[in-house]
Amino acid sequence: MEEEKLKELLSEVAEQMAEPARPGLAEDIKHQIPSRLVSHAGGMGSLNIIIDLRVNRLVAAAIIMVAMILFADLFGRQHPPGDNIFQDGMMLVEYVLGSNVGRGGLSALRSRYERLMERGEEVVYYGDKADLGNGMAVLLHWKTSDGKYRVVFGDLSERTVSPETLIRLQAHMLQEKKAK
Amino acid sequence: MEENSQSREQVPAPAHPENGNSNLEQGQRHANKGQDSLAARLTAGDREAAAELVDIYHERIYRFMRRLGHGRQLSEDLTQETFLRAWRHIGQLRDGKALEAWLYRIAGNVSKLYWRSHKVKELTGMESIAVPYTGEAGHDIIGRQEQLGRLQGAVDRLSWKLRQAIVLHYMQHLSIAEAAKAAGIRQGTFKSRLNRALNTLRRYVS
Repeated sequence: MEEEKLKELLSEVAEQMAEPARPGLAEDIKHQIPSRLVSHAGGMGSLNIIIDLRVNRLVAAAIIMVAMILFADLFGRQHPPGDNIFQDGMMLVEYVLGSNVGRGGLSALRSRYERLMERGEEVVYYGDKADLGNGMAVLLHWKTSDGKYRVVFGDLSERTVSPETLIRLQAHMLQEKKAK
Repeated sequence: MEENSQSREQVPAPAHPENGNSNLEQGQRHANKGQDSLAARLTAGDREAAAELVDIYHERIYRFMRRLGHGRQLSEDLTQETFLRAWRHIGQLRDGKALEAWLYRIAGNVSKLYWRSHKVKELTGMESIAVPYTGEAGHDIIGRQEQLGRLQGAVDRLSWKLRQAIVLHYMQHLSIAEAAKAAGIRQGTFKSRLNRALNTLRRYVS
């Protein structure tokens, strides 16, 4: 097939592969703009380099753990504003463990719960009972300033949901428990 | 339909390398200037600039995710995640002109991490192919639909890297230089990746 023809077809496929975004999507995203945009140059970049170099997962884990210990020491075992180090650590745990969220992920989540408690947030932790690895199971949730809820799921993914969605998720968890 | 969907992407598409006329170059200079000042406001911690970033780019990032093969709901989640990470790592944005490429790079990493942690490959449904009526005869329409279906299937089967190259350049219409930046590789490497992808697609389709 001629190259021009192929490019023309690709352009046509591109239009058909993606419909316009849902109208409310931009507003949903804007609700999550942090109250303070922190100019933080570390974290993601270093993690990307490790991932891009395709370093062995265990080596990557060791590097990040050492880095986290150093940071923790540097900040007197307190986390800097924005939980950036924590977020990067969680990304690494996700990367290292793949979909099998293990004890590492859970203990990191537990520390996060404790920090949110200390900050006086309305936070609920289901980690001891929840279904690890299940993307529909709620492990942790807390109320955000705009009345919505930030939820961490069993596969360690995170989303902001409305109170109604949270109730539906909790109902789903109860049904799953009953079924077992 | 094509016109409608293009008009919803709020920023004019960057000039394609082949389209080097003066109007486009002028438009590109304005876009670069706009990106520069937006980037400067973002790094200064301006929340309104963050909202502006969403207005300008959310449509493009959403479509990028869809074209990388994620479903609708997941594409929304990954778009959301892209902006969250962008704000979290706003300090990494040093070159204002590279704002778009920087955002695409984050989006690419978000998608790549998703595929890596979810081993089962999620494919865009073939039912999403809907060929608009163009006045062609029935057999022509069917032939074209088959061709488009085969091509989309072939794009779905590409490795993540090759697929990213095709999507960035031919579907999101980034220039070679921008697409290479967005992929985090050199232009030469990007071109060779693009050639490999085109050759693979050609084999599948013809």
